Amino acid sequence: MEYIYTLVILIALGVVLASSFNLIIGYAGLVSIAHPVFYAIGAYVSALLARDHGVPVPVAMILGALAAMAASIAVALPSLRVSGDYLLIASIGFQLGLLEAIKNVSFTGGAGGLTNIPPFLIQTAGREAYVALVVGVAVLTVLLTRSIAHGPYGRALSAMRDDELAFAALGRNAVAMKVAVFALGSGLAGLAGALYAHYFRFVTPEQFELLQSAAILTMVVVGGIRTTWGPVVGAILLQALPQAITFLDLPVALLGPLQGLLFTGLVLVFMFWRPQGLVAAGEFWRPSREAPDVGRP
Amino acid sequence: MSAVLEIRGLDKRFGGIVVADAIDLTLSAGRVVGLIGPNGAGKTSLFNLVSGIFPADAGTITLDGERIDRLKTHRRAARGLSRTWQNLRLFPSLSVLDNLMVGPRHYPGEKLWRLAFDRGGVRRREAETRRRALDVLERTGLAAVAKTRAADLTFGQQKLVGVARALMNESRCLLLDEPMAGVEGHAYETMQRVVRDVAASGVAVCVVEHNVAFIRDLCDEGVFMFAGKVLARGPVADLIADPRLTELYFGT
Amino acid sequence: MLTFDTIAQVLWTSLATSSYLVLFAVAFALVLKVNQIFNFAQAAVMTIAFYSAHAVVSMAGQPGVLGFLAALGSAMLAAAILEIFGFRSLRRRRASQMFVFIFTLIVSELVAYLAMLIFGTWPTTIFPSLFWPVSLVGNVAVSAWDVPALGAMLGSLALLFVFLRYSQPGRFMIAVADNPDLAELYGIEKNRIYLYAMLIAGLLIGVGMFLYGSRAQVQATTSIELMLFAIAATIIGGIGNVWGAALTAIVLGVVQNGSVLFIPSEWQGFLLYVFLFLAIVFFPNGVKLPERKRGLARKVASVDLGEGAAAAKPATAGEG
Repeated sequence: MEYIYTLVILIALGVVLASSFNLIIGYAGLVSIAHPVFYAIGAYVSALLARDHGVPVPVAMILGALAAMAASIAVALPSLRVSGDYLLIASIGFQLGLLEAIKNVSFTGGAGGLTNIPPFLIQTAGREAYVALVVGVAVLTVLLTRSIAHGPYGRALSAMRDDELAFAALGRNAVAMKVAVFALGSGLAGLAGALYAHYFRFVTPEQFELLQSAAILTMVVVGGIRTTWGPVVGAILLQALPQAITFLDLPVALLGPLQGLLFTGLVLVFMFWRPQGLVAAGEFWRPSREAPDVGRP
Repeated sequence: MSAVLEIRGLDKRFGGIVVADAIDLTLSAGRVVGLIGPNGAGKTSLFNLVSGIFPADAGTITLDGERIDRLKTHRRAARGLSRTWQNLRLFPSLSVLDNLMVGPRHYPGEKLWRLAFDRGGVRRREAETRRRALDVLERTGLAAVAKTRAADLTFGQQKLVGVARALMNESRCLLLDEPMAGVEGHAYETMQRVVRDVAASGVAVCVVEHNVAFIRDLCDEGVFMFAGKVLARGPVADLIADPRLTELYFGT
Repeated sequence: MLTFDTIAQVLWTSLATSSYLVLFAVAFALVLKVNQIFNFAQAAVMTIAFYSAHAVVSMAGQPGVLGFLAALGSAMLAAAILEIFGFRSLRRRRASQMFVFIFTLIVSELVAYLAMLIFGTWPTTIFPSLFWPVSLVGNVAVSAWDVPALGAMLGSLALLFVFLRYSQPGRFMIAVADNPDLAELYGIEKNRIYLYAMLIAGLLIGVGMFLYGSRAQVQATTSIELMLFAIAATIIGGIGNVWGAALTAIVLGVVQNGSVLFIPSEWQGFLLYVFLFLAIVFFPNGVKLPERKRGLARKVASVDLGEGAAAAKPATAGEG
């Protein structure tokens, strides 16, 4: 049973990560693959606050998400003011640099990882409660991204992706919108990190490296970028698939590279042969609710 | 007659190419000014400088008495400056109605926190924006195609959508970049009427146009530009009649 | 204790070390300038070059020269495959810039995982030993690696300079970099020029990776970090300025290696990310040089012309 719970939690966290990443790369059109670093910030900040500073776990989790959000703004603001291209470079640099720093300082547990993270809910209300919490967060994330994507904000994002210059000349602040979306997406990733940390109670810098970037990108691209359900389908598929590989009983040294190969290979295959992903997005932006007065001739 | 947009001593050069050379120009409420001159005279560049697409090297631009030349493009638009584009620049993934709905000076759903904490307010203003957009579409004769993709319209209709989108700003000053290029028939008359109505409502309008008939019928005043300079200004009929300007226009 | 000799030693070693960094930076800057692609797949080419040399020399026991040729050949082949089957096809589909970005990045990761599967995750080298005999010049130890490395770097750059300045394909390359559409009007075939640029980049990477792999241990992920260094140098040197990137790479290389005098060595790698961050925050358009300004102006002016040209067609319709 515990195995099923773990799998469900991993899938739900994958849904949170993929949906929030879809907001950034899909709806806002921001190129960054550093999503795992905000996942890491949420995990580490929450875990350290709860373990070493006695902060209650729910508060620590929220602070972890806020820390991820703040860090994402610090990365996005300087780079987006120059041009979109720099966000990718700045964020990769930030991802690898921060993980390098985590490996080199002692209070994070270094390269060996952070242990003894205080648990939450499991002892008081049981594993089922924690599973319900994570699944609840995943459902809320999906609903949130859907309401943003198909509301007035999504309309503006769609226009911005089409033609940023014309968009700005109408009085819209493209940079502010990009930073806001990046911050929201990264904050959600931070929350996912916190939820991960207090369940598995052990994190290492290694699990937030480029392999994780490739995994999240694959969920979105294979599932269907710029759709509500694509990232969900992608997350389920890509969390379940590696689990299947673990049953093959391969040596650990082969397992990581093989998963990486699977993720990156899938992205390439889909990019060239089915760029729209499993769930195809329409080219046309749709509002969530049709107002009754629209069709009037 | 009050000045809305005032341009003083505007300079801009790209490397060796001068696109604006000490330009002075005043646009007044309720009047339509036509910018004429050969291709490469700096007409579109002037629009780009005024709307902040790139910064000027020197000179000042004031809108309703306030300096706007240091502001970013979107801030200038928020002060009440709107424009259209030679090559349309509509949003292809949006319907005609949604193209317009992105255009108001203050967009209801531009702030994420508002979506979270002021849902009612956003919904109210969305409804209001929708009403205004439908009204503008009615005036521009586009009501029937409100839900069509902009890319599926005729070229003339697309030009009208561009102007209609700019009207959503309820701007003090409207810059129209070749509104008539490629527009024929019914859309032609609609465009003329729309521009006239806008000016009559007290907006300062500036039109770049190669269609001399359109300029003559519509503009209160003409400005002749050549090589980044304003060479002459006055009644359009006089400018057209001036043999020296005609020679510059058609080249030798 | 900081003596003159220590400083001279550190400076010399840093300078020699920067030889491969310069080659990687120039390769990255060239592809960015000519093909206008942030080629993150450069890391894949680097990985392939290294493991080819490793396979020939360390595994098959062939002489170093063959390893060198293997590095060059495989890097050029990989670059050509990337261009012909990747970039060319993406250009034909008018793929968005984001799409190209993701493609290059994913290729790099894919190759890294492949290398891990084939060669394992442990760091390896090209030659069995990393030790090079040392001779003293004054009080400075000069290793037998240093001088050939610097020579190879300077030689490659000189060849590149002559090629770009005096050969016809080289001049075409600059023309395409300045304005691809205009160049095509003059009968320059863009696709061939893009391929040349990739091949030259492959060559430079092959030389650089052979130098690196004969002096340091490499694992599958090493080249991604080396590439980030090249990116930092390219940005600070001014995008579109190949020689600026080369100069910046030397300066950054000397600073990074010279930092052993001031900071603990385990933090040395971290400096790279500091450079990258500083580059983006403070020098996003490069350190201001007159040449850079001209380049920018040209770019903006061409945007302006582009709009005029686009409108020229329908404009005739209403001419009265």
